[in-house]
Amino acid sequence: MRKRLQAIAMFCLVVTMAASVPAAMSAPPTERYLHIRVEDASKGESVNVNVPLSMAEKILPTVNKGNLHEGRVTIGSAELNDVDIRALLDAVRSAGDNEFVTVKQKDQEVHVAKRNGNLVVHVSDRSKEGQTVDITVPMKVVDALLSTAKENELDVAAALRALSDAGDSLLVTVQDASQHVRIWVDSKNNPD
Amino acid sequence: MLLGKIVLGVAGTALAGAGVICSEGMIEVKVVERQPEVHHVYVLAPAMLVPIAAHFAPQREMSRAAAEMRPWMPTIRAALEQLRESEDITFVEVKEPGQHVRVAKSGGSIVVDVEDPDDTVHVVAPIRAISSTIEQVASASDGPTI
Repeated sequence: MRKRLQAIAMFCLVVTMAASVPAAMSAPPTERYLHIRVEDASKGESVNVNVPLSMAEKILPTVNKGNLHEGRVTIGSAELNDVDIRALLDAVRSAGDNEFVTVKQKDQEVHVAKRNGNLVVHVSDRSKEGQTVDITVPMKVVDALLSTAKENELDVAAALRALSDAGDSLLVTVQDASQHVRIWVDSKNNPD
Repeated sequence: MLLGKIVLGVAGTALAGAGVICSEGMIEVKVVERQPEVHHVYVLAPAMLVPIAAHFAPQREMSRAAAEMRPWMPTIRAALEQLRESEDITFVEVKEPGQHVRVAKSGGSIVVDVEDPDDTVHVVAPIRAISSTIEQVASASDGPTI
């Protein structure tokens, strides 16, 4: 009788331990998807592209062509007219929230700012059917881009990983009279 | 009695063979042409036969294809592995008036649907079969395997 009670107690203990394993330990990390949607209302056209970020992360390092090697892009100084892109991004990263660039012309406005941990670019062009462009890049992604040891490299694979960890975010919107473009990240594999 | 055993043996062997042949799934191709005349083409073939069929393709053409594919094999392998592991998803969908194109992963297969006023095309290919066929083509070259 005593042995039977001990066996029942052991069984209950094992079941309780199994049930109390934290769900986070057994659950796989949430997959994130990069979505691109282009809609042209005047022509009734739409293009939807959905890519799992983990897929892009794994495939990118295998591509070795042109300036892209092992998930890193090599930047030639000639391509940027001798602008040191790393120094520029590093300066933005270390600065506080601020508006860095404001250009106002008759038909165009450009704003580049750092806001709530994001690099924000806003372009408004009234001459081209009222086109507006908004780009929001989490600073964590900028940090990841600059995480390589080499001065003339950007780590795109690390940026993708950072983008995946950054949560749901709207990255790019372009809007004009007829076309609407959206690029965003979320955890839905089919956003419709 | 003996005849019964023979029939049972043959039937069992045929059933097992069919099971093996179909183990990698089926490739489905459906094409409907509407212009100038209506034609229906429907092919449902065991996916396992495709890499086997690649053995009979002209060696020169296979070698040329393999040479072009070889530098991209690590990328192709990574892409196929990720495709196998990913959930069902629509990768690309293009809609225009009268036209619809969709490329998706569904239940271990890649599904391509194209619909326009002239044609309707529906292709389903198991990812394992795509992988086997690509490896088969890539190994056709005399060059080193990556």
